[in-house]
Amino acid sequence: MPFFPQSRYQCGPAALATTLWHSGVDVDAEALAPAVYLPAREGSLQPELLAAVRRHGRVPYRIPGTVDALLEELTAGRPVLVLQNQGFAALPRWHYAVVVAYDAHRGQWVLRSGTEGRRRESHALFLLGWSRAERWAIVTARPGELPATVTPDEALRALADAEGLLRPEAALAAWETSLSRWPDHGDIRFATANAARRAGRDGRAATLYRQLLDQRPAHLAARNNYADLLLARGCHHRASTVIAPALEQSPASPGLGAALRDTARAISRAAASAPAISPCPLGD
Amino acid sequence: MITSRAVMLVHALVLVCATTFSSAQAAVFSTADYLSQADHGTHLARVEAALARDDVRQQLVALGVSPAQAEARIAALSPAELQQLNARMDEMPAGGILGLIGAVFIVLLILEIVGVTDVFSKI
Repeated sequence: MPFFPQSRYQCGPAALATTLWHSGVDVDAEALAPAVYLPAREGSLQPELLAAVRRHGRVPYRIPGTVDALLEELTAGRPVLVLQNQGFAALPRWHYAVVVAYDAHRGQWVLRSGTEGRRRESHALFLLGWSRAERWAIVTARPGELPATVTPDEALRALADAEGLLRPEAALAAWETSLSRWPDHGDIRFATANAARRAGRDGRAATLYRQLLDQRPAHLAARNNYADLLLARGCHHRASTVIAPALEQSPASPGLGAALRDTARAISRAAASAPAISPCPLGD
Repeated sequence: MITSRAVMLVHALVLVCATTFSSAQAAVFSTADYLSQADHGTHLARVEAALARDDVRQQLVALGVSPAQAEARIAALSPAELQQLNARMDEMPAGGILGLIGAVFIVLLILEIVGVTDVFSKI
């Protein structure tokens, strides 16, 4: 793994270049600086690092702030970008570094840090600085790859935040990977179905919506999107059967209520103007 | 200031109307909409996000980012991140130091480890 030494104040771009390079992005610290460096603050902010990862087609996952999680990611061969506070609460000194190994024999963490390609920090010193930065740690992953220690809710959030910047096929691959790890997570199944539709995989999307509605018939957003998909494929009858139960329930938000009404209206209009395609190409 | 705020509000409302009308044709409820409805109605969240976006852009430019870069940077932020930056950009950690640990810090750490002080557990 290459090392990108930082120039003045620019540990953010340098650390980011290291993890992005590891996930297959050919970029150096100098090229990343305009995307994350904040001149008047002489540093980089955490959300801006996440945004820069997304801009390069990778997904930034926050991993749990535990030593076990760090070790597990390192074992899986993934470097971890961490924030450290090498000062005090009243006089913070914020620094980004990349953890690349743990030397169990000497009880030391090995980091790409600042101008040092292999900085060693004792476990106590490392833990202190990391703990004072709320143990913030991220892994940057290719869309179809999922870090070992990520929680399902974090995967959901990270992918939802990144998918607008991913190509539809890459976004679908990312969601499918999460779904295969957590097949019972309803929201991940819903998101995967939406991504399948966006990628033009209507058959896959229909299957996922149907499975979700079998498990959770009251998932109104899934009901809405499945009905919209059926309508788009000319299956008016099926669409109106799917949407009907949703119109009797109270939606969780005004936005969802409006979407359900729009979908129901569009189904009625389509049913009045053209016959449904039979049999429905999306199957049962 | 009040005028620029009013202009932003109008922009936000135009955005909401535009997205509302476009949703009349394709009423798909996106994953992002679905996840944001936990706290707010989707349309309210969109107004807030649009306002936060303008404020964050101005703050980035004021802190030395070129307007074109600021635009590209905020385009990759999530609505929650935009609101977080808008609310507390000044207090958020800006990692940037060289990473060489200061001598004072080392001395305090040694004192802490040998039990002379408990400065770390207090802060």
